[in-house]
Amino acid sequence: MEKPRFVLVAGHVAWSALRRLAVLAVLLGVVFAAVELLPGDAASSTSERGESAADLAARRTALGLDRPLAERFWDWMTALPTGDLGTSARGEPVTRLLAGPFPNTLLLGSLALAVSVAGALALGSWAALRPGGRADRVIGVVATMAFALPEFVVAIALLLVLSLWLGWLPAVTLIGADGAPASPGMLLLPLLALAIPQIGWNTRIVRAALADQAALPHVSAAILDGLPRHRILTHHLLPGALPAVAVGVATSAGMLLGGAVVVETLFNYPGVGAVLAGAIADRDTPVVAGVVAATGSAISVVLLLADLVRARSVGVRL
Amino acid sequence: MTTDSPHSDDQRWLDGADKMIASARSRPSRALRAAPALVLILFALAGPLLAPHPIDQPLVAPYATPDATAVLGGDLLGRDVLSRFLAGGGPLVLNALAIAALVTGAATLLGILAALRPGLGRWVERTADLAILVPAVLGIVLVALAWQDGGRLAIAAAATVLGIPYATRVVAAAAAPIAVSGYIETAAASGERLWYLIVREVLPNLRATLLALFGLRFVEAVYVVSVAAFLQLGPQPPTADWALMIRENSPGIMLNPLAVAIPALAVGVLALSVNLAADALMPKTGTTTEVPL
Repeated sequence: MEKPRFVLVAGHVAWSALRRLAVLAVLLGVVFAAVELLPGDAASSTSERGESAADLAARRTALGLDRPLAERFWDWMTALPTGDLGTSARGEPVTRLLAGPFPNTLLLGSLALAVSVAGALALGSWAALRPGGRADRVIGVVATMAFALPEFVVAIALLLVLSLWLGWLPAVTLIGADGAPASPGMLLLPLLALAIPQIGWNTRIVRAALADQAALPHVSAAILDGLPRHRILTHHLLPGALPAVAVGVATSAGMLLGGAVVVETLFNYPGVGAVLAGAIADRDTPVVAGVVAATGSAISVVLLLADLVRARSVGVRL
Repeated sequence: MTTDSPHSDDQRWLDGADKMIASARSRPSRALRAAPALVLILFALAGPLLAPHPIDQPLVAPYATPDATAVLGGDLLGRDVLSRFLAGGGPLVLNALAIAALVTGAATLLGILAALRPGLGRWVERTADLAILVPAVLGIVLVALAWQDGGRLAIAAAATVLGIPYATRVVAAAAAPIAVSGYIETAAASGERLWYLIVREVLPNLRATLLALFGLRFVEAVYVVSVAAFLQLGPQPPTADWALMIRENSPGIMLNPLAVAIPALAVGVLALSVNLAADALMPKTGTTTEVPL
């Protein structure tokens, strides 16, 4: 007897989620081991001048660094599902360190993702409806160029043009700002700096996916039927292009979170970038591992959503 | 993909957007599109020889505006921005070239091997699945953090290791149809060794793919190396480096904007010209939009 479709879909969803989760767990293991096996530890890098070897050893014990690697890793991994990311080298719970900044970074990242998806769909569709035309070529070249630019170069360019030359936005966010993002203007520059390269990337994906769809017979039939162009776009081209676009957007999520770290540093945006910069100076493994765990989880969620979109449009492969 | 996220550009392969332009693209126009990158790379490498002033001594007041002595003004310590700009491109370009060459080389061998031995191919897929969860920037931070005195070497090592999974997947995808073709089966059946199959049978047919892959890896490497320098992970002050200059001088952007704008422009133009060259080298056959994750 054939199982009903929703059982197959539910099984597929569960399987995808399990697979993504397993990959995430392996990643965490690799991260933890890599940081532990390389020289230098948190006890020595946060030591104060004139601290004796005995003090150092005491702190190493306090931080639990004298216990076997496997034991510490097991403790760390089993505490993860309860939201406990361990203790930083300075003795603060990592979860508390990230509780403020990580949502700020997620806000910046998801806004940038939304802007880049909207921008890419608009530009990609516009180009796809005029294949080979001037708009198509210009959009293609500009998108390729935009994607090659590092975010901090885009950020500097925006800062110079919008703040220094046009005077539209205050440049003071560059230095000295602290606390939560105070004004929308403060969010705008980092947002644009992150979104512009990703608009370039996703526009190319959307344009290419639409081109592939346009070659299919049902689209030709719709054109021959004399349907209006916008209806062909929304009802015949976009639905088929959705899986490819979803995968492109999912890959953007990783690039956005990586880029956010850089852009936040430049604009003094109170996100994970600032925490990470501090952790880099302190060689604070648990904090860095916590940041990687948090971003890795966020990326996993987006990848899982892309899996679902693909399963929904392409159908479940058995 | 990210990384390489990555700021990952491998997927550009899978991008059929400009199929229609491909036919119009002839050999001379390809060379023309690759020219800006070559000129810029030569300029960056020759730059230190052209510097009019020492790069590590104060010449003018901190963040001094341009004058006759310092044409582009002074940086945070009053050093000559022009001299530091001229000296700051070479290491970045060399570092990026080395990473691109290493990643392409390793990915070529592993990718062809994965295509010839499907068991290994599955591992390549799994590793790439894993690598996608680490944004390139975070991976580099992690390695630079653990390898304290690594400097540029640590960055290069991290970028190479993080770049290989994607690049290998691209080569494996390109080599897969070749690996199942008749002449490879004939060679394998007649007892040719694996090394011979890789180097003499499959590799020559991947030339175009590998050239384009090298270009894309160079774009990616420029991104990674400059971002790492910007985060003060690779070269340390007082080294002259374009990305480091941007970071160091950004607090004084109101006083001497050129100290930030010129290196930012240089990194931007380098990224764009290399990207243009990579795009010109890209083979335009058999593209698809289905991006594997």
